[in-house]
Amino acid sequence: MKTTKPEKLKSVRYSKYGYWFILPFFIVYTVFSLWPLISTFYYSLFAYTTRNLKETITFTGLGNYLKLLGLADGEKAYFLKYLGNTLRIWVFNFIPQIALSLLAAAWLTDSRVRLRGKGAYKVLIYMPNIITAASISLLFYAFLSQYGPLMSVLRNAGLISQNSNIMSSTWETSLAISFILLWMWYGNTTLLLISGMMGINASLYEAADLDGASTWQKFTRITLPLLKPILVYVLVTSAIGGLQLYDIPALFNASGYIGLPDDTSTTVTMYIMRLHSTDTGRAAAVSIMLFLITVLISLFLFRAMRQSESGRRRKKAEGGGQS
Amino acid sequence: MKKRRSAPENPVLRRQRRLRSAVMIFLCILSLLPFYLMFINATRTSNDVKSSISFLFGSHLMENIATFTQKQKGVGITAWGSMGNSLLVAVPYTALSVYFSALTAYGLYAYNFKAKKFAWGFILAVMMVPTQVFAVGFYKFMLHLGLIDTFLPLILPAITTPAVVFFMRQYLAATLPLDILEAARIDGSGEFHTFNTIVLPMMKPALATQAIFQFVASWNNLFLPSLIISSSGKKTLPMFVQMLMGESFRTDYGVVFLALSITILPMFVMYFILSRYIVEGVTLGGVKE
Amino acid sequence: MAEVILKNIKKVYPNTEAKKHRKDGGEKLADLQITDEGVLAVQDFNLEIADKEFVVLVGPSGCGKSTTLRMVAGLEEISGGELYMGGRLMNDVAPKDRDIAMVFQNYALYPHMTVYENMAFSLKLKKTPKDEMDRKVREAAEILDITQYLDRKPKALSGGQRQRVAIGRAIVRNPQVFLMDEPLSNLDAKLRNQMRAELIKLRTRINTTFLYVTHDQTEAMTLGDRIVIMKGGVIQQIGTPQEVFDHPINLFVAGFIGSPQMNFFDGKLIQTNGVWQAETAGAVIPLGQKTQAALNAAGVAPMAVSIGIRPEHIQLETQAGAHTVAAQVDVSEMMGSEIHLHVSAEGKDVVVRVPTLELSEKWPNGLHRGDSFYFSFRHDLVHLFDTQNEETLL
Repeated sequence: MKTTKPEKLKSVRYSKYGYWFILPFFIVYTVFSLWPLISTFYYSLFAYTTRNLKETITFTGLGNYLKLLGLADGEKAYFLKYLGNTLRIWVFNFIPQIALSLLAAAWLTDSRVRLRGKGAYKVLIYMPNIITAASISLLFYAFLSQYGPLMSVLRNAGLISQNSNIMSSTWETSLAISFILLWMWYGNTTLLLISGMMGINASLYEAADLDGASTWQKFTRITLPLLKPILVYVLVTSAIGGLQLYDIPALFNASGYIGLPDDTSTTVTMYIMRLHSTDTGRAAAVSIMLFLITVLISLFLFRAMRQSESGRRRKKAEGGGQS
Repeated sequence: MKKRRSAPENPVLRRQRRLRSAVMIFLCILSLLPFYLMFINATRTSNDVKSSISFLFGSHLMENIATFTQKQKGVGITAWGSMGNSLLVAVPYTALSVYFSALTAYGLYAYNFKAKKFAWGFILAVMMVPTQVFAVGFYKFMLHLGLIDTFLPLILPAITTPAVVFFMRQYLAATLPLDILEAARIDGSGEFHTFNTIVLPMMKPALATQAIFQFVASWNNLFLPSLIISSSGKKTLPMFVQMLMGESFRTDYGVVFLALSITILPMFVMYFILSRYIVEGVTLGGVKE
Repeated sequence: MAEVILKNIKKVYPNTEAKKHRKDGGEKLADLQITDEGVLAVQDFNLEIADKEFVVLVGPSGCGKSTTLRMVAGLEEISGGELYMGGRLMNDVAPKDRDIAMVFQNYALYPHMTVYENMAFSLKLKKTPKDEMDRKVREAAEILDITQYLDRKPKALSGGQRQRVAIGRAIVRNPQVFLMDEPLSNLDAKLRNQMRAELIKLRTRINTTFLYVTHDQTEAMTLGDRIVIMKGGVIQQIGTPQEVFDHPINLFVAGFIGSPQMNFFDGKLIQTNGVWQAETAGAVIPLGQKTQAALNAAGVAPMAVSIGIRPEHIQLETQAGAHTVAAQVDVSEMMGSEIHLHVSAEGKDVVVRVPTLELSEKWPNGLHRGDSFYFSFRHDLVHLFDTQNEETLL
């Protein structure tokens, strides 16, 4: 006989527990992310000027945005310049990175030419990704600076002129940063591509062999198309990561929040950091612009993934059997 | 590795294999070389470092350490101090991120409720949004709350890490059969109790992997701490590294490399201890795409 | 008292936009009625289970049997109707308070706990004192012969052992009602037979009410005191195994119960000089006394019918007659003491079961592919079904 009354629920429905479980996430998100996002947008509508240590805040509507884009009088389009810097650094990192990663991934998953010690390779090429970017940036800066070890050795060997200095050349600084990024991230990309390649049915390649396909043909006609979802993912995450570029350019050939030489290696995020407490309005506007670009890129991802899905469905309907 | 008693290797393949191995070894050396040289240079004098590259250890380690210890006094925080701060932030961050992400993922997986699709879609949508976008508003908000220059703003947002929620949910969908939850209900376990005593233990691999990645992310973060922390005594490790660019350090190359060695060492060691799990975690993350 | 009463139980899955237009889900949804409210997974379910009775819900996939079981368990919400257990209304009561235990098809054992901890889990939650808990677990382990596995984790056990642990976990709760959801479906054939026998033995040791769900009619027939046959969310027939076998209420039940399946012929019911006869495949079948009486009592008129006859109720004839059907052998399956003949008669496929000895008496050389013979229907074992509503006429 029961001594306690059975628990009476209005209806024995478990779905409402779902709400409880996700509540912490959404509450904290609203407070720490959603609200800041909204207020960032709000701040972007104001101009902050400091004269004689006194801060005046005036409403300017979209004025900040116009200034960023260089559409207001007398204002240089810093935002566009920094966006350009960021893009330049990213492109010269991404393109070689993708090529190198595809190559490495292909080699590490090749069943005919079996490399020994694959595990060790994977561990070592991924390693730079774990180390603090700030440290890596300073490390390379120390090596490559004008009076640093590398340059001195090259100078003594007569391979470069007495005055050469990576740090005073826009392109050389940019390429150096791109290289650091590549060096840090290609291991990650390679591992992702490896897992993608392992998901491709081996018998597709065997069938292609019987059809007489060359290695290059197999790569371009089978591997690449089937890797498309992962490649898109890599592209988008790399691009969004690229937009946020901060740690490395901030410590490599930089002073304050200016990327040397001559402000040509300053990224958008460095710009935000530079302005956030002095010209909050403009910093906010830059953030919002960044947000819009991120949304555009994500939409592109969405479309691209959708297309590949429907493309595959269409192919299935037409072609029938292929896995 | 046992040698397979298969047919003798085709010479063309052997050549390819040797070539590829050579390239891969080169790449591995490339990954290690900067660190190796860094450790070497930490033991040499500044002039030696500036003038040549050496692959052998020097003898100035102790002097460099002494100089470094001295110079640290001038910046208001030591390397070890900043590591302590980073730890103070990273450990709670990791715990909160992993636990609440599992909680949220479980809620989205085990229950069917009206807002579920919206909630999941929302998480997917915000997964990609960079921190910078909230930064200004976040900074001002913390300013108003008087939380600037404290560690709380660096820790609390860990509760909302959408990427981890995504990963956990995929993991649950692949490994948690719903009838276990029903058996628990019949056995008399409350929903939250079931989550803590039955589901979490079953998620150990996923929790461990994500814990590693979240710890690394928090430890390496430069942007957010730079925004929030102002007093030297509270600076985190990446912020300390940034200070090494300052005048007092940059003139002495030996000291710079020593400082970098010290700041890099923890992660370096941790990586080689946990490398298998880390590499597995990255590969797993890719499969579900 | 542990009787279970289901009154007008109904389960509706409300329409979502997607489901309204969806055509996939094939046979599953085809059987179920779709109303404005949504999909009717179970409707008009009425059943009274007596205390300590073993009732089996059986039917094809998607017929609503599992859904009904889960409503009794409290895992699914009851959309309409009332559920009583031990005389109390249980619709809103949480599963843990219903004094039930359930065995799942996939065992649902907690993978990170040992067998002992799995079985003790529910007791621990009720804060049972340690020695009592230990006693109960070991008692149950002994009944199921799993004492030696108490310290192992589920992944170290075979399918049959896991199933026993699942049952053990249920026994430990000492429930009023024992629910089982296709517990033997995941086992291989041999193990299944073994476990079936063990379940029957188990029942003598655990004397409670059982509600058992399966799609296998053999399990239903051997285990149940009574069987409930379901299709499309609706009860087709309730009865003892014998009742359901001898007097199927409609075409579906007739075809579902019994293996090999009952043979069906399209034919006509005619009345000659007040005597009922069935006509099909060129034969005129005389109908037995009881059938005549039943037909008269039912007040039917001559009509088109489906004639059902079980494979074992077909008689082989060496010669033709007015009441025989001509057939040709397609396949002869030697089953040991009996032979299953797959034959074609008038373009239809028919299965006949005949004892090996009987066949060799009539055909000393045996019957092989291509051979012709005749068969007749045992006229007191013929089933007649209305072609319109598929119900029995008897």
